Amino acid sequence: MSRDWLLLLYSIPREPTAPRVAVWRKLKRLGALLLADAAWVLPAREATREQLRWLAAEVGEAGGDALVWEARLALGQEEALVEQFAAQVERPYREILAELGRAGADLGALSRRYQQVVAQDYFGSELGQRVRAALASARGGAVE
Amino acid sequence: MKWVTWRDVRVDRIGCAWLIRRFVDPEAELLFVPVGQKPLPEDAEPFDIPGVRLSHHGGHASFQAFLAAYRLDDPTLARIARIVDEADTVQEAALEPAAAGLDLICRGIRRTSADDHEAVARGALVYDALYAALKEGDDG
Repeated sequence: MSRDWLLLLYSIPREPTAPRVAVWRKLKRLGALLLADAAWVLPAREATREQLRWLAAEVGEAGGDALVWEARLALGQEEALVEQFAAQVERPYREILAELGRAGADLGALSRRYQQVVAQDYFGSELGQRVRAALASARGGAVE
Repeated sequence: MKWVTWRDVRVDRIGCAWLIRRFVDPEAELLFVPVGQKPLPEDAEPFDIPGVRLSHHGGHASFQAFLAAYRLDDPTLARIARIVDEADTVQEAALEPAAAGLDLICRGIRRTSADDHEAVARGALVYDALYAALKEGDDG
């Protein structure tokens, strides 16, 4: 199966630093992966397309240049890329599960953390569903 | 007057259209053009299109640009602007629980509407409801 991806290639002035850092932080927050120190990649979805369109505009407003590409891998390297996306959510998912196992775990903080991670979970990690079930059961036996 | 934005409206453009008709230009005529179309109609004010005046600026969504441009000094509108910001742009911290729900509802409104005109008309009901609830402090 061939998946569609979005690539963001951009350059932005080094100074002032604030807009440059803001763009970088938003890419991290979206869970985009930096490939070969050059291109940021995200799965092509309606929401990621919208977000990258606005990030490109933000780069332009900061005096930089940005191109958003629709891309498809030509040599069947999809799985490795999907695994990289999965790995980046599985680490925090495991941390949440570990915290939930402790006495007096802060459910409010952990559920907020879960919401952040799930927003970057583009391929429906099975571990994510376990975290969700564990949070639901910890708050009082909800059935999910 | 005429206003123009891209087709396939979502949370920010539905909110902007509501804001225009309720607070800026009750007689507004809205035009929806294909994404990326250039040039834009010259006789219409563009909004929520990258690079125009009434658009995303400084990490804020276009709704916020309207409040500044038309000096809409209303705390309830300022609050809605924060919700739209969180629904439509990447934010470091989530402070508005209504944001994700509003985003999803607006996507659903577009999906269940025949075109963008119908979507902004139906979406206005949601923004009217949000405005009334926030104004009366229903969110605690």
